[in-house]
Amino acid sequence: MLHSLPSWFWYAVFFVVPVAFVVVASFGSKVPGSAGRVDFSKPSLGRYREALDQTLLTVLLQTMRTSIIGTALCLLISLPVAYYLATKVSESRRGILLAVLIIPFFTNFLIRTMAWRIVLAPHGLISNLLIDWGLRDSGLMLLDTRFALQIGIVYNYLPLMIFPLFVALDRLDPALREASKDLGANRWRTFVQVTFPLAMPGIVAGLVLVFVPLSGDYITAAILGGAKGNMAGALVAAQFLQAQNPALGAAVAVLLIGAILAVLGAFALIGKLAIAALRRNRSVSMVHV
Amino acid sequence: MSRNTAERISERLSRRDFLAAAGGSAALAAFLAACGRGGSSNSAGDFTRKLNLYTWAEYDDPDLIASWGDLNITIFNSNEEAIQKLVSAGGVSGFDIVVPTGPYIPQMVAEGLLEEIDLARIPNFGNLDAPYIDQVFDPGNKYSVCKNWGTTGWVYDTEVVTTDIQTWADFIKVAQTEASGQVSVIDTPPNLCGIYFWANGIDWNTESAADLDACEKFLVDDLAQHIKAFDSYPGINLTQGNYVLSQVWNGDARQGLISVEDAGDDPTRYKWAVGAPQTELWMDNWCIAKGASNLDAAYDFINFILDPVNSLTDVQFHGFNTGLKGIEESAVDMPYKEMVFFTGEVVDRMRSQTLNSSQDRLVDIYNKTRAKAGA
Repeated sequence: MLHSLPSWFWYAVFFVVPVAFVVVASFGSKVPGSAGRVDFSKPSLGRYREALDQTLLTVLLQTMRTSIIGTALCLLISLPVAYYLATKVSESRRGILLAVLIIPFFTNFLIRTMAWRIVLAPHGLISNLLIDWGLRDSGLMLLDTRFALQIGIVYNYLPLMIFPLFVALDRLDPALREASKDLGANRWRTFVQVTFPLAMPGIVAGLVLVFVPLSGDYITAAILGGAKGNMAGALVAAQFLQAQNPALGAAVAVLLIGAILAVLGAFALIGKLAIAALRRNRSVSMVHV
Repeated sequence: MSRNTAERISERLSRRDFLAAAGGSAALAAFLAACGRGGSSNSAGDFTRKLNLYTWAEYDDPDLIASWGDLNITIFNSNEEAIQKLVSAGGVSGFDIVVPTGPYIPQMVAEGLLEEIDLARIPNFGNLDAPYIDQVFDPGNKYSVCKNWGTTGWVYDTEVVTTDIQTWADFIKVAQTEASGQVSVIDTPPNLCGIYFWANGIDWNTESAADLDACEKFLVDDLAQHIKAFDSYPGINLTQGNYVLSQVWNGDARQGLISVEDAGDDPTRYKWAVGAPQTELWMDNWCIAKGASNLDAAYDFINFILDPVNSLTDVQFHGFNTGLKGIEESAVDMPYKEMVFFTGEVVDRMRSQTLNSSQDRLVDIYNKTRAKAGA
């Protein structure tokens, strides 16, 4: 207990206290004409009533669509990469490949994301190459689309998925895969019934690590997705940075946190049911083998 | 700039008449006299030329700044954002100079975010033309000194848009047809809503619920689906060919055209105009942040930037009128000069913003428009 005190302190100061501030502010109201001061004289749920409208619902749905697709893409791309890194690559080369994955992240994420605008622009790298090769007459309209925003998301969040997956797969005892092979399972079956279930903790960690910050991020999506990159985080920012209304901004933030937790909870439930179904299915198929 | 124009600007900015302090020729003489004194002030006092500047993007000539000293620049995207940051820092923000837009200054003064300015320490303050001093938002320039002013219009690609856009109504029509899906609008609630108000001759400072409701209905139902991006600085996108039609501030449009030219493309392909029948007029100002640790350097820098030669260098970079006496006459060879200096008739269309009870409603309309555009 005692040696975990520093981490408790860390959580209290940098997580619990700020979130508490936000929750408290959400019960206040705006002091008109002030530079964003909050009036606590009549605490109420008024800000939540203001925040809960069709706009919030629409934007939350847009946010969840963007985040779920982005997280799924990250998982699909990361699984083979992490599997390859953990099982196929020699120890000496592994370090280099992991470094290659992480080096771009020494650059500021805004610059990294803005750089994609230059690559994707109608007069940008990709379009110019296609025109030079005679494959197209005019530039591609890739920028400020859902496609572009998912490129930005995958690019910015991929390592958060690859690393937990890699750690989970790296910890797997190769003997388990060999045993599976010895018992007659082919490669696919070994992957589906041995490797994948044992990597589950890493997959879950990766999903949470990507999905949670992604749902609150409104910068990546806005830079590359333009109007299509509208995220709930932008609603919070608009209240703080445009309306000078931290009380309403806080209420929207609390609702956003609630929505993210609800989606995570729903996915956890679906995951549990899926694993249970898989187990039942496997026990049957094992008998057949 | 002609006297006539200057007077009109003064009227627009402060909503009251100014007595012209001097005739045009006298202003020019004063300007030339000031030029004769030489470029930068070299009187290094008992301080180091080091400042933390909190300002808008692409707003100061890097070479000019470097010739003064060591300026560490932090960028904000809205006045509200800057104010929020200064408030939460409680006087220890570390910023020495902040550059808010006029209407926000009274609020910042009330919140104790600004130091009083001793004009005696800024000898070059006298270089400012009458319309740009003593504004309603800061009578007597107790807290602010004009940095520059600008306006809002549009720029479009004539290879795609064949209509000659002359008014905001034309802008809207083209946005809904020829340029649909390739339109950018400035990413602030007042500028977004301004498109509707200016097009229809409604005061963009309206507090009338009916006006605001009509604005919402128009933006959400008739414009949102045609918007490609909410982008306050579309100028740079001209070289990237990303938008066909953009709502844009004049200096940013000018920087865009210059970068098109620099890239070896033909800038005449793009056409710029000031909004009509009404449009925006804003003035950004040098203010000293409360608790500034480099006060001497701050005064020295503001004085430096108000020097006519330095000011002209700065105008050529950012493309906004700095309001110095004789600046237009001295900018004879400046490229795209017509995007910086305007005739009296054009200035007559411009209206300044006031902060009022509609602030929250404008943000609400902005959020709804964004939600619709993101569908």
